[in-house]
Amino acid sequence: MDDKAKGRSRRDFLKLAGTSLPAAAVAVATAGEAVEAAEATPQGSDLRMTDHIRTYLETARF
Amino acid sequence: MQMYAETAPSSLPKSQIAQEDILRSDLYAFLGALLAAPPTQAQLTQICGLVGEDTDIGQGITALARLAASRNAAAVRREYDALFIGLARGELLPYASYYLTGFLHEKPLARLRADLAQHGIARNPDVKEPEDHIATLCEVMAGSIRGIYGPSVMSLEDQAAFFAAHLEPWAGHFFTDLEAAKGSDFYAPVGKIGRAFMKVETEAFRLG
Repeated sequence: MDDKAKGRSRRDFLKLAGTSLPAAAVAVATAGEAVEAAEATPQGSDLRMTDHIRTYLETARF
Repeated sequence: MQMYAETAPSSLPKSQIAQEDILRSDLYAFLGALLAAPPTQAQLTQICGLVGEDTDIGQGITALARLAASRNAAAVRREYDALFIGLARGELLPYASYYLTGFLHEKPLARLRADLAQHGIARNPDVKEPEDHIATLCEVMAGSIRGIYGPSVMSLEDQAAFFAAHLEPWAGHFFTDLEAAKGSDFYAPVGKIGRAFMKVETEAFRLG
């Protein structure tokens, strides 16, 4: 199979696999980014204690 | 976690991104957003309106939309906390290092950091959590496919290598666990969508 044919079969496969999202789902992801960006605005220069960090610290404790 | 470009990688111009790849990027971004933080009420309302196609991924989306219609943001946040945060820890630890070694902060994270650096991607200095969180990896895939970390997109070969190194070995297991987790309700179809998508990605890279 040449590269073009391979690329085409990959694209056809992806189409059939239904990776397409309804347009509204894209908005969900974009809204999430906006929220995260807002939260990430630092109030100071300190390390942020996010929920993930908290979990991480808990789990790392032996 | 927010990732940004340190240096510009060299690859295809963004105008040449195929429609299928934009859709892949969108699906990664969607999963990344749902796994990075519990949805807001506005996001839940948007999810209510989704209708999927008749594929595994589409059925997951339709199921998620149905749940979004009957759950409120506070309930989904409680579920998210129980699954991923917990009192001592959540039911699941969505980190590559944990899935591959049983510990956080192990070699898979070190390898990921080296690869991210090579592609000129760095984490936002405000964020200190490990980069091998599933949401971050989805975000990196979404951004790399679209080329948001530089003037060009990541080549398909590089995408395949990144996926094979950092997602394929464990993401399918994680999404399967998420789908079946005791505390999963709203997040069960998220697991289903992710599990189906990881299978599709594996197969598509094999064809590519």
